[in-house]
Amino acid sequence: MNPLLKVEGLTVRFGGLTAVDDASLAIAPGQIRGLIGPNGAGKTTLFNAISGLAPIAAGSLHLSGVDVTSFSAPQRAAQGIRRTFQTVQLVQSLTVYENLLFGLHSVARDPFTAFVVGGHAQRTNVDADRILAEVLEYLGMSDLQDRVVETLTIADQRYVEIGRALVARPKLLMLDEPTAGLSPAQLERLDDLIAKLPADWDVSILLVEHVIPLVVKLCDRITVLDRGRVIAEGTGSEIENDPVVQKAYLGERLDA
Amino acid sequence: MLSILRNNVLTLFFIIVLAISFTTDAYSQYLINLMLVYVVVAQGLNLILGFAGMFAFAHGAFMAIGAYVSALLMNTLGVPYLIALPMAGLAAAFVGCVIGIPAIRVSGLYLAMVTIGVSEIVQWVLRHWKPVTGGTDGMLVASPTFFGVEFSDDFQSFYVIFVVCALMTVLAQFVIRSRLGRAFVAIREGEIAAQSSGINVARTKVFAFAISAFYAGIGGSLFSLTQHYINPENFNLYQTIMQFCMVIVGGSASLIGPFIGAVILTWLPELLRNAQAFQEIGFGLLLIVFVIFMPRGLAGLLISRNILPRERFSRAARLRKKPEASTSVVVERP
Ligand SMILES: Nc1ncnc2c1ncn2[C@@H]1O[C@H](COP(=O)(O)OP(=O)(O)O)[C@@H](O)[C@H]1O
Ligand SMILES: [Mg+2]
Repeated sequence: MNPLLKVEGLTVRFGGLTAVDDASLAIAPGQIRGLIGPNGAGKTTLFNAISGLAPIAAGSLHLSGVDVTSFSAPQRAAQGIRRTFQTVQLVQSLTVYENLLFGLHSVARDPFTAFVVGGHAQRTNVDADRILAEVLEYLGMSDLQDRVVETLTIADQRYVEIGRALVARPKLLMLDEPTAGLSPAQLERLDDLIAKLPADWDVSILLVEHVIPLVVKLCDRITVLDRGRVIAEGTGSEIENDPVVQKAYLGERLDA
Repeated sequence: MLSILRNNVLTLFFIIVLAISFTTDAYSQYLINLMLVYVVVAQGLNLILGFAGMFAFAHGAFMAIGAYVSALLMNTLGVPYLIALPMAGLAAAFVGCVIGIPAIRVSGLYLAMVTIGVSEIVQWVLRHWKPVTGGTDGMLVASPTFFGVEFSDDFQSFYVIFVVCALMTVLAQFVIRSRLGRAFVAIREGEIAAQSSGINVARTKVFAFAISAFYAGIGGSLFSLTQHYINPENFNLYQTIMQFCMVIVGGSASLIGPFIGAVILTWLPELLRNAQAFQEIGFGLLLIVFVIFMPRGLAGLLISRNILPRERFSRAARLRKKPEASTSVVVERP
């Protein structure tokens, strides 16, 4: 099957530092791909490079066969690449509903607004209320829609970020440490959600996650990054037993 | 009944203004006209400053462009006002784009400096391009004629200003409820998240410049009708600061804010006419008090007291305490 996302030889440099070094990976449609690696391995930078927020020094990026390497961040978002952030990036002083509205941009109604704010004009007559209601219902947040974001728990804020991505019906959803700061109960609920996203929303997922057993449970395949390089890729059990991976982690996390 | 009023404050405003102007004297009529001009201009500044969060300080200059363009079109080419007015707005919007494209490379204080620089350049041109602008002597503005009827005195020009102000108000409501308005708010609150939601930040900023300059241009043209005579002094930095004051005092990022600001800052100087010294430092004091103690302005205060309804995308009053229920501590990893 043709990969949904194909990353080839991607390199990102910050001055002398090569944060992502010749990284390649391919994600199949509907796949949940784990991305793990020690702190500073370059996971967030790889996310930034894929979403267009970090400059690509070398390599290429294809989404559903379309070369999006030269696309800007908003263009890539319009093509269906959406993400959440390690540090939640919501408008804290606005409501859940208003925050979700921001996600709808790339389905701009008319060519004029599409030109100004970005996006594409193919989809017309988007019923914002209906789309948002659907996403809120799915996330179990219908009763929170008029709450101001800063009054929500960090778990609910992470749901809002996922919702903001989902309203645009993305092809690829990238989640950067969505479970950071969550209680065990909240974590379990989020896991269940992530597990059913591909089937329910026809989306592929790239997931950065620190808790290894969780990644192994959730992901179809796992890519391991260390000092910017892809050092291993495979299924959960292949990764757990890979000596190179164990060395990179010094055994610490894999024992968990 | 009360809730109908509460939800239609702006309609009420226009009805009251119309009612008053049937019974008022010439001088009050002049002030009402001026107030409506400022409503237009402040709404435009609010779009860029309040909603898009960009510190643009060139609105006196944009107003000047509107005023001079419509006056020149009417005086020298005999263009009817019905055409000169939109041309004034479009000319200002065009200059707004031209300035906006390089200016959006910087933000915050630097954007403020760049746009103040632009205002000074426009001032210089108005003063020195004598054959066209009349220099510091200024120029007379012809009265507009509609279908053979001349609208010359304040009572007559009121109708022109009133209708245009109402139209511009409807336009502002439309803009803010559209994706464009949403994009303004999104770039104000965080460019990274905005980009990742598909918003073209640079274009949105240029458009914020263009549309707010359009308002200033229309406002400038209407202003010239209230004065019948314009000169560069009308559009100096003081003008820009007064508009800034209106947005801040009235309430930035609120659709009602500019109305409150324009009303107060048009009538306050009149009330203080016998206290000239206070009038001069008044603006400064007002700005300081509001920026420090009431950054959401009077509209923000009224909304948080539930006297006015909350508007979409108007920032909620910040909560003192976060009811964070999460048990675990959030540790940010690099
Ligand atoms: N904008 C930036 N400028 C300079 N260095 C950066 C920037 N972003 C990330 N880095 C560096 O790149 C490396 C990878 O960081 P990051 O992608 O955040 O790692 P991870 O998400 O895997 O913890 C780190 O050494 C980090 O300091
Ligand atoms: Mg990271």
